[in-house]
Amino acid sequence: MGGQRAGVVEERESRVGADRPVPDGPPPDLVFRRRLRPVQVAHELWGARELVRALAERDLRARYKQAVLGFAWAVLTPLALCAIFTLVFHRAVKIDTGNAPYTLFAYVGLIVWQFFSNTMNQGALSLANNLSLLNKVYCPREVFPLATMLVATVDMVIGIGVLGLMFLVFWTAPAATFLWALPLLAIQFAFTYGVALVLSVAVVYLRDVRHLLPIITQMGVFATPVAYPLAKIPQRMQEVYVGLNPLGAVIEGYRKALLFGEAPDAALTSIAAVSSVVFLVGGYLLFKKLETGIADVA
Amino acid sequence: MSREYPLGTIRTEQVWKRFKADQQRMLLRDKVEQAVRRLRGGRGEDWRWALRDVNLHIEPGEAVGLIGSNGSGKSTLLKMLTRVMYPYAGVIDVRGRIGALIEIRAGIHPDLTGRENIYLFGALLGLKRREVAARFDDIVEFARLGGAIDRQVKFYSSGMQMRLGFAVAAYLEPHVLLVDEVLAVGDAVFQQRCLDRMREVAEQGTTIVFVSHDLPAVQSICRRGIWLEQGTVRVDAGIRDALAGYRDSIEAQSEAGARAGEPLELLKYEIRGEGRENLTTDEPMTVELTVGGDYRGDATLHLGVSEGTSSPIFQLSHEIRLGGGDHQLACVIPRLPLPRGRYTLWAGVYSIGRTDGGTLMSWHSVGQFDVFGPVLDTPPRAVVLAAPVFVPHQWEE
Repeated sequence: MGGQRAGVVEERESRVGADRPVPDGPPPDLVFRRRLRPVQVAHELWGARELVRALAERDLRARYKQAVLGFAWAVLTPLALCAIFTLVFHRAVKIDTGNAPYTLFAYVGLIVWQFFSNTMNQGALSLANNLSLLNKVYCPREVFPLATMLVATVDMVIGIGVLGLMFLVFWTAPAATFLWALPLLAIQFAFTYGVALVLSVAVVYLRDVRHLLPIITQMGVFATPVAYPLAKIPQRMQEVYVGLNPLGAVIEGYRKALLFGEAPDAALTSIAAVSSVVFLVGGYLLFKKLETGIADVA
Repeated sequence: MSREYPLGTIRTEQVWKRFKADQQRMLLRDKVEQAVRRLRGGRGEDWRWALRDVNLHIEPGEAVGLIGSNGSGKSTLLKMLTRVMYPYAGVIDVRGRIGALIEIRAGIHPDLTGRENIYLFGALLGLKRREVAARFDDIVEFARLGGAIDRQVKFYSSGMQMRLGFAVAAYLEPHVLLVDEVLAVGDAVFQQRCLDRMREVAEQGTTIVFVSHDLPAVQSICRRGIWLEQGTVRVDAGIRDALAGYRDSIEAQSEAGARAGEPLELLKYEIRGEGRENLTTDEPMTVELTVGGDYRGDATLHLGVSEGTSSPIFQLSHEIRLGGGDHQLACVIPRLPLPRGRYTLWAGVYSIGRTDGGTLMSWHSVGQFDVFGPVLDTPPRAVVLAAPVFVPHQWEE
């Protein structure tokens, strides 16, 4: 037999070639749609609880290792702001806080604001900073903003500890109505997480949002009744305001419950509660919808 | 859909995936421009298909190699199997726990110690804390970190970081293991370790999908090969057939850029067995060549035999003196060590004593030939690429 030329190759191709022709496009009924089954989503999120813990632990440990003062910063930042507020608003502008010491009054607001702004700023970047990871590992993506909220919660707990010390310093006990703080806490968490979810996925698709964050933070601290009471906002506007910014009602509620021994305003609190649920559910749905494309744009 | 497939099954039905053709920037400005364009009735965006109509059914315990040139959609398919990416259309169904043997250096936090990072990775890959704890020693051993485990990862060498990310993934014990180009990183020893680990996992009955350009590595692990070309399944067959088809296509492509203008060319060649026409294992083989060209002087002729483009089985060389005309020579191999199969003959001629290498006829595949003879004995389940040569032997008991 002579030299066997490469002509035999054809035979092989015909043997193993594709057995059916490729159509021009996918059948329309098979186009992928995101379907969310609440039970399944909840189950998956519950299954990822260790991951949330691990991510939060990573951030906390890393912060502790990097900075000389470590966790002290969780206390120092709100305290510094508190000192500034006391000087500016209390001395210069004279804000009526009822019977409560202004420093305590402002500090209650700052704890909430600090929690919100930490979660928002860190949470918004939580996906963008982990893109290469998201491209390789599957996990429910909402754990990343959730972990940043957990970190902020740890900070808040430390802040609350300091608040306890402040009550000692000012010789006033928290009012007996302080249990009202628990439902308010739920509103605070729901709203904050909703905002963080929307921003985190928005940053992935639109890098511009990143630059919005400092602006929102700057304006927010003044647009929210942190340094002043909610009463500064005109009475008829309060309902609309609280609907847009549930934190207003939350802070006001805390103050009433902790400092003045009153129940939070029922109407405003319910509006805030409804609004925060809308933020949370809306944010979650948007997040889940856009989540499917993260790996495509990353 | 209603049927329950056993754990470890991978099914894709008419899977399509598309990407935007122009995706360099994503500024708000671009989005606005795009929206304006769409409002004016123009085309909004250009899309190109990355995967078209991919239908696969992989049984539990199968080891499948995914091959194809760059941009053929291998990684996209793998990402969709990992559930990191979502298809544009179609059904993807992967049963059981999915483990991706991937390099996740991205997740390493430099300020944490190796130990802390291992627990973090475990959580990222879906392991419980106590599951990581149970495998901790194996993981450290696999990554060869030893005493460095409690040091901050930023003080690790890049190789150590890579191994750390890898080792956790290697001990996942999933039902389906997806491997994407692991062998591009790490030193030879570590690559070998990874392959060994994959074989180990394969032996335990885990389904494996292996993407790599290292074809011999693919062949050493997988029994089935899927060759993707421009987003479609070109060949889905036994690993040998799939690889052969893929190699042929590479060859055909590289052949296209022919060796024009070289001083020598191969005018004629013939491969034959002695006495009989067919080539037979352990029998003589003769290769006759006729080289022609203007070149005068001493040169080295190289001959080689491979089972494909990348892995020569043996190669021989011989010094020849060329006088400007046709030069005929023959090479006799008294006992051919090749088992039954199809092989490629390679040849090249280089001048002697020139520092620039002096290519007279560059190394290229000349043609293919078949060898008849015994099929090699079946290797153990985990070793699929048998040693490529036939060794005369007998058993005694």
